[in-house]
Formats: sequence, C-alpha cells, structure tokens
Amino acid sequence: MADNRDDFLIAIRYALLKKGAKQKFSLFFLILLSIGIITVDKLTPQITHPIKGMLNDLVYHVSVVSSQPSKLRKYIAQETIKHYDVIGENKFLKKEIEFLKKQKFNNAYLSTENQLLKNALDLSIIKGFDQDFSISAKVILDQSSPFLKSLLLNKGTKDVIKRGMTVFSNDYLMGTIIETNYLTSRVLLLTDLNSKIPVIIENTNINAILEGTGKKQNLRLGYLPENYIIEPNKIIFTSGKDGFLTAGIPVAETYISKKNKIFIRLLGDPDQAVIVNVTNGQIKK
Amino acid sequence: MLYFRSIKEKILTSLPLVLLYLFSFYHFQIPEVGKINFFAFNFQMILIYFYTLKFPDGLGYGNIFLAGIINDTVLGTPLGTNSLSFLTLSLFTNYIRNATLRSIWTAEWFTFIPALFFSNLVYLIIINNFSNISFYYIELLQNTFFTFLFFPIFHYIFSQYQRLISRE
Repeated sequence: MADNRDDFLIAIRYALLKKGAKQKFSLFFLILLSIGIITVDKLTPQITHPIKGMLNDLVYHVSVVSSQPSKLRKYIAQETIKHYDVIGENKFLKKEIEFLKKQKFNNAYLSTENQLLKNALDLSIIKGFDQDFSISAKVILDQSSPFLKSLLLNKGTKDVIKRGMTVFSNDYLMGTIIETNYLTSRVLLLTDLNSKIPVIIENTNINAILEGTGKKQNLRLGYLPENYIIEPNKIIFTSGKDGFLTAGIPVAETYISKKNKIFIRLLGDPDQAVIVNVTNGQIKK
Repeated sequence: MLYFRSIKEKILTSLPLVLLYLFSFYHFQIPEVGKINFFAFNFQMILIYFYTLKFPDGLGYGNIFLAGIINDTVLGTPLGTNSLSFLTLSLFTNYIRNATLRSIWTAEWFTFIPALFFSNLVYLIIINNFSNISFYYIELLQNTFFTFLFFPIFHYIFSQYQRLISRE
C-alpha cells in the first residue's frame, strides 16, 4: 500500500518537475505561475488591470487578424452560394423570358384573332345579317389545288351549317358552303372555276355572271352584252337575281394590269381569311 | 538545399503549435445542428493531450501556458484559468505517460476521460470561486463529451501527420 502511494507520488513529482529536452519551464513552475496570476488578478485587480488592458488590446488585434481566414472562408462560401443563386436565378429568368415570349406571341395571336372575331361580329351586328342564321367560323385549312379553290372551316352540321350558305370575310363575299360534315365544312371560293354568281357593274345596269378562273386577280364576267367594254375601277356588286344573295354586296372590282389590260379581281383576299362569317346568304342593307 | 529542408522541417514540426495558438486566438464557430451543437468540442484539449502523451516536445508547457492566457483574454475568463486547466491536463497526461508501459490507442482514449475531468474540474473551481461568470453546465458537459468522442479521429490524423514528418 505504501509502495503504491510512493509510486504515485514519484510519478506525480516526475510529471511536475521533469523538463523535456526542449522544455524551458517545468509544469510545477507554470502551475504555480497560473495560480499566482489568478490570485493576483482576484485580490489586486487595480495592479493587473493596466497589464490586462494591454494584453487584451494585443490579443484582440491578433485575434482579429487570425479570424481573417475564417472570415474569408465565410465570404467565399457566401459568394459561392450567391453565385449559384444567381446562376439559378438566371436559368429561371431565361425560362421565364422564353415563357413570356411564347405568351407574347400567343397574346399577339389571340389579339389578332380577337380583332378578326370582332370584325366578324361587327359585320353581323352593324351590317346586320338578315338573321335566320349567322355564325363565325375559323379557317382551319385552305385548299388550293388546281381543281378546287376552297377553305375548310371548323364549324359543321353540329353548328347548324348547311350546304349553300354563303361565307363572308371582312364584309366581302368569299364563297359558298359546298360540303358539310359534323364538325367541319368546306367553302367553295369565288375564285374557283365552279363558282358562278349573278352580279351588276357599278353605275351601269349591266347584269353578268361572275365566274372564277382559279386566280384571284383574274376573274371573268360571263353573259355580258355584245360589244361591251369593261371599264377599269368599277365595283362589281351582287345583283340578287338568284334570289338568294341580297343585291348590292360588293364582290369584285375592275383594274388595269401592268400590261394595260383590264382584269377583274376579288375585293376580299381568300388567302388571308382567318375568321369568316357563315350566313344564310343575305345581308340587310 | 539543406537549409530549405530544415525550414520545411521546422514548419512541419511547428504546425501543432500554430494550431494551438490559432485556436486560442480565434474560436471557430461551427453552426449548430438542432439543439445540440455536435461540433462544439475543445480542439485544444485534444491537441494538448495527444502531444503531451505522444510527443511531449511538440508543444512545450510554456506554449500551453501562453495559449491558455490568450484563451482567457479572448473568452474573458479570469487570467490564468485556461492556463491552469491546460496545465492540469498536461500534468495528468504526463502522469499517464510515465505510468504506462505500452501504449494502446483505446487505453489512451479512455484515460482521456479522467484527464478531461480533472481539467474541467479545475476550470469550474476557478470560474466559481474567482469570478462572477454564470456558466452553462450542460454546454460544458456537451463540449467535454464531444471532445472525448472526437479524440480517436484526431488521434489518427495526428499520428498519420507525425508519421509523415518522421518520413520526411
């Protein structure tokens, strides 16, 4: 028991007093010094205060300097996060711009479509179709084959569209319905070879039949009186002789071509028709 | 060439000392995870314990004392508190080193518990008797626990580092 205690004391004493090869102070001395500092600091603070103040200043400044790497690390971390945030935001904004561009185009398209619909509505309200029937339809396809000049509409028998109904675009006659399906219908354009409507020429009492030739810039007037010379810049109206179309609907006009020949062209451009108005054929004047 | 080699050697051997002073001057704040700060451990104690135990000439008691004084100044505890705490740790470690014949890392790890206990005991006694500082005992307990827990990791790192230096 006594031996054990002796061993312990020897080990402690050895630990306290032994200095290593490179040690300048023994543990015992430093522990005593620490205790001394604590005691002096506690008992006579007025003596240690100025020394402590100087030490504080020195240590705080060094501490500030030594904290710089950590601050730099934080700064780099923050900047990296910011950088990735900006990248993320940039990606998001790019997507948003793309989306908005698409929306813009969509809006523009809708606006145009709306305008066309308004025009079509104006036609039906202001001009006032003799409303047994009037409906706006959208051109879904324009067929321009050598055999048939026609348009396909997105309205059919479901919307009570019948064969023989007339189609207007921007106040101008376009053609007649020749085929009806449940959801779609086909319009035979005035430019088609098979299209024939009775017309009257402006400021004359000459009746004729306006026939399509397949070209919108070159229609033909049939059944004209002999030796009648067509004058340029005359509007051709419907005559109403067929008993179906109201008389006085402007259809075409005469014009002088570049080769000084007089031709007849449609007032409305069937190629530009997007929204059309399908009626039972008559416009109230 | 030899001159550069000796400079390199000095830099490498003084790295633990640099770390000791660096951690005295600046206490790295690691963000808390939940209510418990898992990474709030006392790196200096691990460093002092390891080097006093394995490489007593690596740090030096004078440096430990000075690091403690700096630590006190930075933390605002009475001057000499951390010095005495660190020196107590060194004393206990020195005793273990003298009393141990064959070193096993697990034994070193578990003897770290009484070393930490005596060190913190001295710290608490001084704080309670020589200052009016209020103290969070739970935080000290957490700190001590994680210091003990992380010791094997640093034991491995420091051992590898010392092996690397000796090879150089």
